Amino acid sequence: MNTLETRVPVTVLTGFLGAGKTTLLNRVLTENHGKKIAVIENEFGEIGIDNDLVIGAEEEIFEMNNGCICCTVRGDLIRILSHLMKRRDKFDYILVETTGMADPGPVAQTFYVDDDMQEKLLLDGIVTVVDAKHIWEHIDDSDEAKEQVAFADVILLNKIDLVAPEDLDRLEARIKSMNRMAKICRTRDAVVEMDKILNVGGFNLDRALEIDPKFMEPEYPFEWSGIYELNTGTYEWVMGEGPDPAMGAALLPLANNGLAAKEATLMEAVLTFSEDEQAVQAGETLHLGKGQHNQLVLNRKGETVFNFVIQQPGYYMLFTEHHPDEFDAHLCGTDAVLVPLETREYKPDHEHDEEVTSVGITLPGDFHLERLNGWLGQLLREHGLDIFRMKGVLSVRGWDDRFVFQGVHMLFDGRPDRPWGNEQRHNKMVFIGRNLDRAALEEGFRACLVS
Amino acid sequence: MSRVMMRRRDKRKPPQPSLKAIWRTHIDDHPIGLAWSPDGKLLAVAGVSGPITLFNGADGAVQHKLPGHTLGTMAISWHKDSRLLASVGLDGKVRLWDTETGTQTSEMAGGASWVERVAFSPAGDLLVSAAGRKLRLWNTSGELNYEYPDANSTITDIKWRYDGKQFAISAYNGVVLYGPAKAEPLHRFEWQGSTLTLEWSPDGKYIATGDQDSTVHFWLVDSGQDLQMWGYETKVLELAWSFNSRYLATGGGTQAVIWDCSGKGPENTRPLMLEGHKHLIKHLKFQRRGKLLASGGNDGLLAIWRIKKKKLVLLADAVFKTPIAGLAWSPDDRYIAASDESGTLSIAAA
Repeated sequence: MNTLETRVPVTVLTGFLGAGKTTLLNRVLTENHGKKIAVIENEFGEIGIDNDLVIGAEEEIFEMNNGCICCTVRGDLIRILSHLMKRRDKFDYILVETTGMADPGPVAQTFYVDDDMQEKLLLDGIVTVVDAKHIWEHIDDSDEAKEQVAFADVILLNKIDLVAPEDLDRLEARIKSMNRMAKICRTRDAVVEMDKILNVGGFNLDRALEIDPKFMEPEYPFEWSGIYELNTGTYEWVMGEGPDPAMGAALLPLANNGLAAKEATLMEAVLTFSEDEQAVQAGETLHLGKGQHNQLVLNRKGETVFNFVIQQPGYYMLFTEHHPDEFDAHLCGTDAVLVPLETREYKPDHEHDEEVTSVGITLPGDFHLERLNGWLGQLLREHGLDIFRMKGVLSVRGWDDRFVFQGVHMLFDGRPDRPWGNEQRHNKMVFIGRNLDRAALEEGFRACLVS
Repeated sequence: MSRVMMRRRDKRKPPQPSLKAIWRTHIDDHPIGLAWSPDGKLLAVAGVSGPITLFNGADGAVQHKLPGHTLGTMAISWHKDSRLLASVGLDGKVRLWDTETGTQTSEMAGGASWVERVAFSPAGDLLVSAAGRKLRLWNTSGELNYEYPDANSTITDIKWRYDGKQFAISAYNGVVLYGPAKAEPLHRFEWQGSTLTLEWSPDGKYIATGDQDSTVHFWLVDSGQDLQMWGYETKVLELAWSFNSRYLATGGGTQAVIWDCSGKGPENTRPLMLEGHKHLIKHLKFQRRGKLLASGGNDGLLAIWRIKKKKLVLLADAVFKTPIAGLAWSPDDRYIAASDESGTLSIAAA
């Protein structure tokens, strides 16, 4: 962290009623951490606890610009924190507790929208307390529960004593599929070391990456590919009943007709899967080539046969949304089942068809600053509503310093932080949001690189 | 050519600050309110941690130190007879003080834990306080005249009209007018935005507001027509009318914007720009009857300006070590009191 940082760190505490927020707050206040803490919460009036201060606040959510929900802020926080900052020498840390049903957006946005807040306070992190037993009642249909998970830098899976270990693993996997950036701590009675929740440096992307190195592993919109050598003619792709009534597929000729072009073809397939799907019914012919995203519609019972019509002999790469084994699928030639020359399995981009997901992007090279600004501006205008949080460390051409950014919805804060020094220059970004399009995001950023 | 330009060119030898302090002192706190008694004899300074110090206006001797409010004082207001001082703060109370004896005469409940605004009527017979959404009207003995219906959101400001027949409050959603003879609002000037502060023009024709969304709003009180001024750098908390209701000075940036409201009003006119601060301007005050404008900023600069031939001319300045925390012209307009965030308080002749 920047040692010159003079802003007072703020931690925002979210979680449903009964998850254990108050227990956690009381722990923070009674723990001997040598910090003087001010707490802003919803429940009762202002009381002093030893050195600390607890202020009761009534949430007042304001729209900054007529009707734009991305610009909603907490007016009460602006007033209370402006006052607290005048006595800032007396507080080292500020904790803001939100109500159970709160969308964390307006709280987080408050620290970006108001200049006084931005100058004097640093949003250190959002900590979400999750009731490991009861979260299942909300996580599927409550936007607030999803948002609280998606916004978090740290998630406390609390009340683990009430849940079987395998259910806990299932919950953790589910949460990770929504928010890969957050650190997850399993707790009982909200017992957690203070340095896991305070001063986590929400801005510090390097640290977020340390926690889950697999996070940056590329994810694909398909799970399997197989390379076949095909002659001119018609082939049958036979599928049995499977877990889904339909499956996405793309069949691409290997560029230059050679096996060496696999990586390029893989990228083409990612783009192809981002195109709109075209339904292909039983007995119909698969659309061949780049940009042809097929949706193979299966018969309700028994086998379904689709045709591949090959006019140019050569190597072809078939990409399928699910593993063919799940459907007992295979490619038949005139007299025999064809075995692919080579197959590959891919990490799927969402294990649960999750609406809320995280996308991590790494790219080599340097960004062209103006192009990057233009693209980010367009991205946030068009998709700001769906992007809950973003963070990144980027390499900009001509800059000795790393460019770091973070944002909430349409609000964006980017600045140079420290020189790259001996560190290898790189670009790493994380987006968490609803219905994020990984391929389009990656493509957009790639176009801003200095070629 | 203004001195601002000269200062910029002559970088090696900045001119010496030209405002000479008559007296200077220090309070061990961040001052949040500076208010001269109407007779000019006392200067009340409230600190954010609570105590209110009463200084002798002539020499800075401490007359009394009032305890104020535990957890912090938020605002103070003088009665026109210069004896009673009202204060509100984070202990949920409205307090009245006899400044001659330095004792409290009344203590009232503001209605919520943070009482943030208080204003004596011009005639001095009434006092309005705001705590969250609670708006209460009191007499000078501390008796409640009315509790008005709750405002829609936290009240951010209260200002009386010059004649005391009405007062206005600002909150999220605009401005609401009240009268002391009726417990219901008289009129609502609605605006979907977070209004932070308001000022009546001295003739009562306009209400200007500063807003969180970096705009200034004008309401023509009689017709209810409104104008919005936008393009400010940041939220606008600084508003000041000249005594003749001609100019409205507005902050919300490193430059102040001064609208000329004479003739057909400020619509489609080019405002005057006050340039010379290096950081955000935080305080703007016109003289009560004179033409001088004082500005104070986060750069610690206190500057006195005169509007001449549609330009602002810098007359005098002084530099404080920390951001300016308050400005107040003495009732006779001869002195300007200024404090900075470190607690320095200085009084200079303009």
